[in-house]
Parts: sequence; C-alpha cells; structure tokens
Amino acid sequence: MKAIKVEKLNKHYGDFHALKDVSFEIDKGEVFGFIGPNGAGKSTAIRALLGLIQTSSGTAKILGHDIQLEGKLLRSKIGYLPSEVHYYDEMTSRELLEYSANFYTTSDTSKIDELAEYFELDLSKKINDLSFGNKKKCAIIQCFLHNPELLILDEPTSGLDPLMQNRFFELLETENKKGTTIFFSSHILSEIQRMCNRAAVIKEGEIIAVEEIQSLLQKQMKKVRVVFKDSPTEKTLPLGSQHEKWNENKLSFEYVGPISDLISWLNQHDLHDTVLQEPDLDSIFMNYYER
Amino acid sequence: MNKNLFLKELKRNRKNLMIWSSIVIGFTFMVLAIFPYMAEMGEGITSLMESIPPEIGKAMGMDADTWSSILGFYSTYYGVYIIVLVSIFTTSTGATIISKEEKDHTSEFLLTRPISRKDIVVTKLISLFTLSLIIYGIQTTAAVIGMQLFAVTEVDWSVFIQMHLSGLVLILFFTTIGVLISMFVTPKKNFMGIVIGLTFGTYFLNAIGKSADAVSWISYFSPFNYLEITKDPTVAFNYLAACILLTLGVVMLILSNKIYGKKDIAG
Repeated sequence: MKAIKVEKLNKHYGDFHALKDVSFEIDKGEVFGFIGPNGAGKSTAIRALLGLIQTSSGTAKILGHDIQLEGKLLRSKIGYLPSEVHYYDEMTSRELLEYSANFYTTSDTSKIDELAEYFELDLSKKINDLSFGNKKKCAIIQCFLHNPELLILDEPTSGLDPLMQNRFFELLETENKKGTTIFFSSHILSEIQRMCNRAAVIKEGEIIAVEEIQSLLQKQMKKVRVVFKDSPTEKTLPLGSQHEKWNENKLSFEYVGPISDLISWLNQHDLHDTVLQEPDLDSIFMNYYER
Repeated sequence: MNKNLFLKELKRNRKNLMIWSSIVIGFTFMVLAIFPYMAEMGEGITSLMESIPPEIGKAMGMDADTWSSILGFYSTYYGVYIIVLVSIFTTSTGATIISKEEKDHTSEFLLTRPISRKDIVVTKLISLFTLSLIIYGIQTTAAVIGMQLFAVTEVDWSVFIQMHLSGLVLILFFTTIGVLISMFVTPKKNFMGIVIGLTFGTYFLNAIGKSADAVSWISYFSPFNYLEITKDPTVAFNYLAACILLTLGVVMLILSNKIYGKKDIAG
C-alpha cells in the first residue's frame, strides 16, 4: 500500500485548468518533496487531497483510503501544516491546541507543553496577539499531537527563523525515523534537498518531473560570482557555463555540471572572493526544464 | 454530532447570547411594567385611540381593547419588537455560524480535522437551535414573571401560550432563512443588514397589507400574516401555517447542507 497514490487528478475553475492530469506515488516512510514556483498548483493539489476542494476528475488514495469517500477516516491519520495559518483569534494557543486534539482519538495532549517548550511558544497568548512565526509554531505543534501516519506540510518554514527551522527539521527527521511519511511542499530547493529522497516538480498545474534528489542536484544550476585579485588575461570558463558577465575584475555566470570541475577551475585563479548561489526556481525552470 | 465542536460553538456564542438576552429581558419587563400606568389612564387612552386613523391602528396591531388587558398590551409589543429582536439574534447567528469560519479562514482548520462536512453542518445547526431555544426560553420566562408582577386582572394563559407558540415558529423560520442566505452571500459581507431587513421588512409588509385593503395581497409574502399574534381568544392557532413554515425551514436546512457539502474552500 502506498502512502499517497494520485492518478490523473484534474481541477478546473471555470476556464482555468489548475491541475492537469496530476499523478504521483509516495511510498510509506518516504520524505517526498513537492516543488514548484508560487501559483504552480502545489497548494491546490494538497487542498484536493485533504478534501477542501472538489476535484473535477481523477482519483487519489491516501493510506489506502479514497479521498472522496473516506475523507473523515484518512484525515484522522494526517497532520496538516498550512502555508498560511488562520486560527480562531479569540482562543489562546493552548485552547486552540486542546480544541484541535479533541477531534482525534489518538491525541496525546502531554505533547502540547513538551513541543511548546521545544519551539519556545507562549501557550497563554491569544492567537490574535501572535506574530506570523508564532502562529506557524502553533500550527506545527498542532499537526504532531495525534501521532499522524502522514504529515502534509505546505511551505512549512515560511515565517520561522533559522534556529526554529533547524529544530523543526530535526523533529521531522525523528518522526520520519519512527515511520511517519512526509509530504513536503516548498518553493525553496535547499529545504527539499535537505529533507527529501525524491521530489515531484510541478509547473502550471502539471507534474513535469518526479526525480531522485541526487539527480535533481546534478542538473541544478548554480549562480557563480567571482572577484579576481587581478583581471585575468585568460577568460575561458569551465564547461557548462553560460550567461557570463564581466565587470573589470568581477565576473558572474551560471554553471551546470560537476561541482568538482568548478572548484578546480576556481583553484587555478588568484581570487579575492567567490559566492556560489542557489538560483531561484524560475531560473531552474528556464535553464533546465525548457532546454 | 461532534461534541467538541458543539461545546466550542456554545462557548463562542455565549457573549452574544448574554447581550441579546439582556436586551429582550429588559424590553419585556419594560413593556409589562408600563402597563399598570396605561391601564390607569384607561378611558383617556381609549378616546385617544379613537382619534388615531384605523389603518394605523391595524398596522400596529392596536385597537381600543389593546389597553384594557395586559395580554392585549403585551401582544402588540410581542408581535412587533420582541419576535423581531429575538429573530435578529437567532437569524444573524444562523447566517454566521457556518460562514464565519469561511470569513475568518478557519474553515481550513476545521475541515482538515477528522470530521465530515455533514457532521459539521449538523453540529452547527444543533448549536444554533440550542442557542435559539435558550433565548426564546429566557424571554418567555421573563414574560411569565412580568405578567404575574404587573397584571391587574386574571391572565388567560392559553392565549399567552398560543401567542408564544406562533412566535417560536416565526423565530425558527427566520433562523433557517439566515442559514440558507449564508450559503449564497459571500461571507465577507456583513449579514446584519440583510437580517434586520428580512425580519423588520416582512413585519412591515404584513402591516402595510393589513392597513390598506387595496394592497392586502402584500401580506401573503410575510410569514407574520399566517401566524397572527393576537390576544383575541377566538383566533385559533394556525397549525397548517406552522407546519408549512417549519417544513420550509427543514427544506432550507437540507438545501444548505447539500450546498456546503460541495463547496470549494478558498485558501
């Protein structure tokens, strides 16, 4: 049995085709990435899986349960972290978390204090008074309370500072070791790289690739900026470079290829400074998927 | 029904319930407390009534008898203000109890819990009618106490009961309209205007229809026309109208459940 099995899922909003024949499978215990630029259909696909929106055609099963027919049952096994957190303003975090936990038969409310301490969340504050990041922490705690078999995370790190992101990732790693399947949606490639074994790439409502993270990495372009001590006489770049721009002794270009080749090329020059940067997703699509 | 959600709904609405209950208790006592002074004036008021054009009197549900018994006096206020006040609370609660989650974007939270949409609708409706019956019960109790405190002569309780039964049917009917409206109107809107328009509006339709024979057909569009609030003991309780209004109410609730079951929840 697969953790998630999606077959030819479609969603139309009038003339707008939000999901086009979306199909993918996630094994139990896997950490599966879902990556694409904003507006690509990541959240739409997740909302369809959770039963928040009706699909136009296609089928999907989560942990063996049909999303249309057994929504209530399958949601009892899912922990869902929304990208934008909207909770009941008049409740305190503790009230919200207890209210949420009471919907499940598998909840462990002792985890509330434990996790609040871990994420440094003040449980007595009203939701209304929480910052964006603190609301997110509340949402994170909420999705772990009932020991879900599957975590569906939609842009989970937005609003979290790097320290909390780290703690969150560590918590995810522990949960995953216990057997929890994780469906991780994000537009930040480095997060997907850190967490996932495989990832689906979605663009304009279509899954354009399902790949091992390793092969995604090899195809990944890097933005390279170099400051030479002296402007070099020889201006040949390593194989796989493009879009080079010179400005006196400063150079920037994009590189796709083995990282060791790039490093040995950098080594041959007398450098002041160098920066290797992950490109934004749009340029990955431009440079890789449309080539 | 989901107990967790039910308790939350009651808790969430208790402040509104307390405010509106105080308003209707206060109003009920005020009306009943005025009566002894009005009764004392007796004849003066009767002659004053005769000088009022009969159309206006009919529209307000008043006649010369209005001032002679506490039930007659109370019926004019119950039929206009009290039913409308209670309905404004129950109808606006009905209009928001489901749609507020959408307005505040909390539906996403609720609908991703292990609870079916049908359970949500059923539980919210049970909460809604619990709240409606509580405020109705509070107002009725206040009226019974007030009657006993301020009545000058014996009160005909069977007339009182009939009056309040008609009131209950009207209140429940308005409440279900509120639920249905919330399925069609975008939740960002403030429902209060629609609710006040609906309750007072249909009351005035009936009043206009009653006062002028030429437009008496207007009354047919108002539920107030079918369940007359009167102290006249010869007017029997309109069981047929009550059944039809309640059936219509149930149909509206079933329709609301169907609509909600298929709704896409925006992010």
